[in-house]
Amino acid sequence: MHIALDALLASANTIILGKQHQIKLAVCCLLARGHLLIEDIPGVGKTTLAHTLATLLGLQYQRIQFTSDILPADIIGASVFDVDKHQFTFHPGPLFNQMVLADEINRSTPKAQSALLEAMEERQVTVEGKTYPLPQPFFVIATQNPSHQLGTFPLPESQLDRFLMRLELGYPDKAAERELLTGQSRHHLISQLSVQLSPEKLPAMQDAIAKVHTSPALLDYLQAIISFTRHSTEYSCGLSPRAGLALMTAAKAWAFMHKRDSVLPDDIQAVLAAVAGHRLRAANTDSNAVVAPIIQHVAIP
Amino acid sequence: MPTHIQPTVLLLLLSSVALIGLPHAWTIAPSVFGFFYALLIWRVVGIWKKNWLPNKAILFLLTCAGIALLYQQHLGVFGRNAGTSIFITALGLKLLEIKTTRDVYFIVFLSFIVAATLFLYQQSMGMALYIIAVCVSLLATLVVINMRTSDAKKAIKTALIIILQALPLGITFFILFPRLEAPHWTFLQDKSQIKSGLSETLEPGAISDLALSDELVFRVKFDGAIPPQPQRYWRGPVFSLTDGKKWLPLLKRDTQRNQDTLSFSGSPYQYTLLLEPQDKNWVFALDMPDKLAPPLKINTYYQVTTDANPSIRAEYTLQSYSDYNTGNIGNSERQENLQLPPVISPEITALVSQLHGFDASPSRFIQEVMNHFRTQQFYYSLTPPLMEENPIDTFLFKTHTGFCSHYATAFVYLMRIAHIPARVVSGYQGGELNKQGNFLEIKQADAHAWTEVWLENKGWTRIDPTTAIAPERVEQGVNIDKQINSGSVNFDLGQRGSTAANIAKQFRQAWQNADYSWQRWVINYNNTNQAHFLSRFGLNNSQRMLTWLFAILSGLTLGLFWWLTRQPQKQQDHASRLYQQFTHKLAKLQLQKLPGETASAFAIRIIQQHPDLTLPINTITELYLKIRYNKDSDADDLKKLTQAIRALKINHLRRH
Repeated sequence: MHIALDALLASANTIILGKQHQIKLAVCCLLARGHLLIEDIPGVGKTTLAHTLATLLGLQYQRIQFTSDILPADIIGASVFDVDKHQFTFHPGPLFNQMVLADEINRSTPKAQSALLEAMEERQVTVEGKTYPLPQPFFVIATQNPSHQLGTFPLPESQLDRFLMRLELGYPDKAAERELLTGQSRHHLISQLSVQLSPEKLPAMQDAIAKVHTSPALLDYLQAIISFTRHSTEYSCGLSPRAGLALMTAAKAWAFMHKRDSVLPDDIQAVLAAVAGHRLRAANTDSNAVVAPIIQHVAIP
Repeated sequence: MPTHIQPTVLLLLLSSVALIGLPHAWTIAPSVFGFFYALLIWRVVGIWKKNWLPNKAILFLLTCAGIALLYQQHLGVFGRNAGTSIFITALGLKLLEIKTTRDVYFIVFLSFIVAATLFLYQQSMGMALYIIAVCVSLLATLVVINMRTSDAKKAIKTALIIILQALPLGITFFILFPRLEAPHWTFLQDKSQIKSGLSETLEPGAISDLALSDELVFRVKFDGAIPPQPQRYWRGPVFSLTDGKKWLPLLKRDTQRNQDTLSFSGSPYQYTLLLEPQDKNWVFALDMPDKLAPPLKINTYYQVTTDANPSIRAEYTLQSYSDYNTGNIGNSERQENLQLPPVISPEITALVSQLHGFDASPSRFIQEVMNHFRTQQFYYSLTPPLMEENPIDTFLFKTHTGFCSHYATAFVYLMRIAHIPARVVSGYQGGELNKQGNFLEIKQADAHAWTEVWLENKGWTRIDPTTAIAPERVEQGVNIDKQINSGSVNFDLGQRGSTAANIAKQFRQAWQNADYSWQRWVINYNNTNQAHFLSRFGLNNSQRMLTWLFAILSGLTLGLFWWLTRQPQKQQDHASRLYQQFTHKLAKLQLQKLPGETASAFAIRIIQQHPDLTLPINTITELYLKIRYNKDSDADDLKKLTQAIRALKINHLRRH
């Protein structure tokens, strides 16, 4: 299992250059069956990352470009009257895919956003009283422009909580930038990729992740972190129980990716910024800076 | 300009500074006060209008202006007012120079000093509470800076907790630390600050408006019964010499002369006097004091004085009898108290003979004079007309209006014409009883003058001519209510107080009672009182006091230390105790594990600095992580970890 995983990471790193840690986190997020939010300025490779992962995982992939006039029906689909059969038939929207890239989600109105986010949570869609299950596995990778840009509707905190992780890609470093400038087009490279980890293998992996051991000492540390965020004056609002669960799941996936069968405090610290950064209401928007006080002040028991 | 100092910090800081300066409105020069608040307001505006803040050149000019102002006001840096003004001006100027967090710290500490200067002027309980409140807000400023929070409410709560935590330690120090007596403190006190009480001369005709102030003069706490209102005469200076207008005490007041012994009867009143600071060394004892302990002395006119510095609040324990007999007087004393101006008007002589001054017994004559005041149209007023020429004649025959001094001087004058030795006694009369604290408060408004007449077999006998005036003839003047309340003018006006007034009075008394305890137990807690208080617990010398102080302090510190170190250990299991031994060993290499640092991260850090330790460190870390976090560790691993840690040898010489 780990061989396929390593190959997947290696291939992804040939497309997105110099972002090993972010790619690892993105894969970790998918392994933990969580949805991913990528927040950054345009042009740093958000879409490319989503496309690459979909290709490498061999998933049906569909991109939805969110605009200010997009309607819920444009995302989940609509019932259309079939003249031949004299009845309404449901035409599934682009959401009915294993991996959905919701591009620039904060450009759309809150109504369209909530249609997507409800589907993410329930993993099913209800239209006119009929429920349609979404394909398995189902991942959403949403991208978001920093909310201070013009023409955006920033996601409210309650909806940010639906994403297991939020990542920031950032600019590539000098060497990666040079390689990007001299190398082939990314689009072309993606088309040459082969599936590294077939969707059939995913459930087995996810089962293995669920079995990763969390010792009492580790749970103490996890609880110390959660309690710190709730009582410290650094944050106006602490981590919710759902956030605590998310943190544990992500840490388990991270431990699994590092070929361990138990979670270490290091795993928690590695995923902390991505998992907790967008859930803590703080003045700072940089996730690493947001969680820095936790790593600094919470003693490992 | 200040980019990284939050507006919350600035607002909290500036409002604390504004509060700390406020009470100085009554103490420092208005120009300095105005200068300070002008700078403060400038800085407040600067929070929103950063460009309006002064640059270095303007700041320099402002500093020069501040120095000039200080020089103009105080001509130097010595004395309490000048020192206070310097701190206030410096604080104001520093406000315009906030660039870094360090400046904020500086201002907070300067504010604490300015807060302390307030105590040089006022030591009341209200002021202490006010200063504590301002200290909370100053501390909150520090909390906001250090916690990087912008929640002022939370910061104030933390500051309150800090102050409450410091309280037991502060109280311990206050009670047990040897009190430093500071005899030179008075040089800090400007002369004008001392309250002037009774005057050394008496010239009623020259006063046309007697303003009686509410200012406290002294308080009395009785051990046992409190004398009834008509007997509460607190004796001050005695006036015997007169030129018809002005009355003076005899110059040789302290010389010893053959004096008959005082004899007392009845049971004495035991009481403690708490004297407010004043400019004269008079102690107002209840008529007639007995058994005085140093530094108290009594002169031949039975006035008590003290050798201690009167400008410091003082406490004396005294004993007095209301029934006394001063016995016979010598010839010289008789002559002194019969002394009159050379020319006496025929009208007065006529009046004296009309009242049987020359042909009846002294007590009959006294009755006649009192009756004369009562039945003729004599008025009591605090705003009598001026009587510059022949004041006694004018008062007796023309104006018929005056206050206690007029009546007392006229009465003595008449007595002396009838050849009865008499003199004027000044002091205080009455005093308001504080029911909650069961003590009397005597205010400036209770100032009074009465007379003493020497009678055969009775000695000096107190006569208060003011009591003779009929109640309906009291003219409403300044603070007349005060006079009536205090009993200087005795008449009954019936039930005047409403329920609301009664409640207000009770509140006032409760507050004054608290203030009495504050003065008695906190402000007046000097060497003597401390020794007295501590001897109750068997701590009768300073060595024992210090021993106890250090015992309590070290007890508190050790307790806290134990509690703090004990706390996290409870949850630690065997492996983490072993790991702690390991980190202690590494501390010798100047390597400290940070609280949030994981064992693996720590191991990497050690190995980076000490590659030779790679093997043992990795073994220990792996074993530790396995025991702590893996499912399948056994006792064997623990044994291995113990051995590995024991085997780890840190060579001290390898230290950097």
